[in-house]
Amino acid sequence: MLREPPDAADLLATARDVLLNELLPALPAEKALAARMVANAMAIAARAAAQDDAWEAAALARMPGDPREFAAAIREGRFDPGAAHHAEAAVLLDEITRARCAVSAPRALGKG
Amino acid sequence: MDDARRARLTEWLRAAAGDASLTITATSLLSGGAIQQNWALDVSGGRAWVLRTDNAATLAVSHGRAQEYALLRAAFAAGVTVPEPLFLCEDAAVLGAPFFVMRRVAGTAAGHRVVRSDTLGGGREACVRALGRELARIHSITPPRDDLAFLGAAPADPCAAFIADQRSALDRQRLPRPVLEWGLRHLERTAPAAVPPVLVHNDFRTGNIMLDENGVTAVLDWEFALWSDPHADLGWLCAKCWRFGSDAQEAGGIGSRAALYEGYGSVDDARVRWWEVAAHIRWASIAVDQAERHISGVERNLELALTGHMVPGLEWEILRMVEARDAA
Repeated sequence: MLREPPDAADLLATARDVLLNELLPALPAEKALAARMVANAMAIAARAAAQDDAWEAAALARMPGDPREFAAAIREGRFDPGAAHHAEAAVLLDEITRARCAVSAPRALGKG
Repeated sequence: MDDARRARLTEWLRAAAGDASLTITATSLLSGGAIQQNWALDVSGGRAWVLRTDNAATLAVSHGRAQEYALLRAAFAAGVTVPEPLFLCEDAAVLGAPFFVMRRVAGTAAGHRVVRSDTLGGGREACVRALGRELARIHSITPPRDDLAFLGAAPADPCAAFIADQRSALDRQRLPRPVLEWGLRHLERTAPAAVPPVLVHNDFRTGNIMLDENGVTAVLDWEFALWSDPHADLGWLCAKCWRFGSDAQEAGGIGSRAALYEGYGSVDDARVRWWEVAAHIRWASIAVDQAERHISGVERNLELALTGHMVPGLEWEILRMVEARDAA
């Protein structure tokens, strides 16, 4: 609220457009991959800056134990199909992964 | 390559090749993997060679040059299409690290180019049939082998060994990975019966196979080879995460699964599918390790940093595969 706009996501998106539309065509071919990687990094950072982090606290609150304990319990088979909380664990993992993909790999979600 | 190293290399090659008049006419650094340096050597008499040596920073899980040379020799003898291995130098005084020399082979390996081409490798279906035949030749190499003793004892149960190895890898990492645990537990619940282990290339995928318009010119990057279930290689090649966006072509983004299996011979499809889940888990864990090299400061690098952001997409795919397999 008190920060000066435009915000981080806007700046990154705007800068990325300049990179792809103005700089990339002027670069030698052997630098194109590096420029595309920079553009990819900026897109991920822009999505991370724009994401509401509330999902993380909500996911942790529902998780049986902390992430390390949850991982260990999965390994021990305590959330196997047929176990009492299998379905809840599956839904929680889906929700966490969907939120992670929204920043890192949005194309993995249904669109791909 | 500086003059002093080049002079030492020339002396060494003269002795190794039994050619006192051998000269190096040109050297150039080829674009290699993250782990090795590959130099193109043009040598008198029209000889075109590649010299392979280590980068300063190497992954702990990959084999050294002497071991890779032994794997190449075994593969070459088994009829696998690999660059012919010529000389091994284990004396670090020559170049600063052990190296070996092999014949230079022409072709294209870059994954994104390969999956877009309808003609590379002799055409899509012919190419994946040839890849099936290459894998069958690799898998004709069976333990025990004195020349491959560095691979250790072959596991009695390769699927169980894979799960144990991956869990150890997760236990070494900084952050817990519940989704990878979910996938590994699924693999443990659904593991097929043990099969006799064979030599598995363990990185046989689009990007590591060199092609020209006529066919396969070289199977590259042997540093992760191990004794395991032969279906592990078929699963790694077919895994969706290694199709470079060409998802409809299930064999490496290049051609059909049916043609690959036909070229290979006898395939247990259910076992391959198990190894495809395994492939996503293993690649995700490798991606975590690569990103950690950047995060820890061992090797600050944008490509490594971005590789870490592939993990959530791989996890999503693992969840979908496990869900579908559990529902079936």
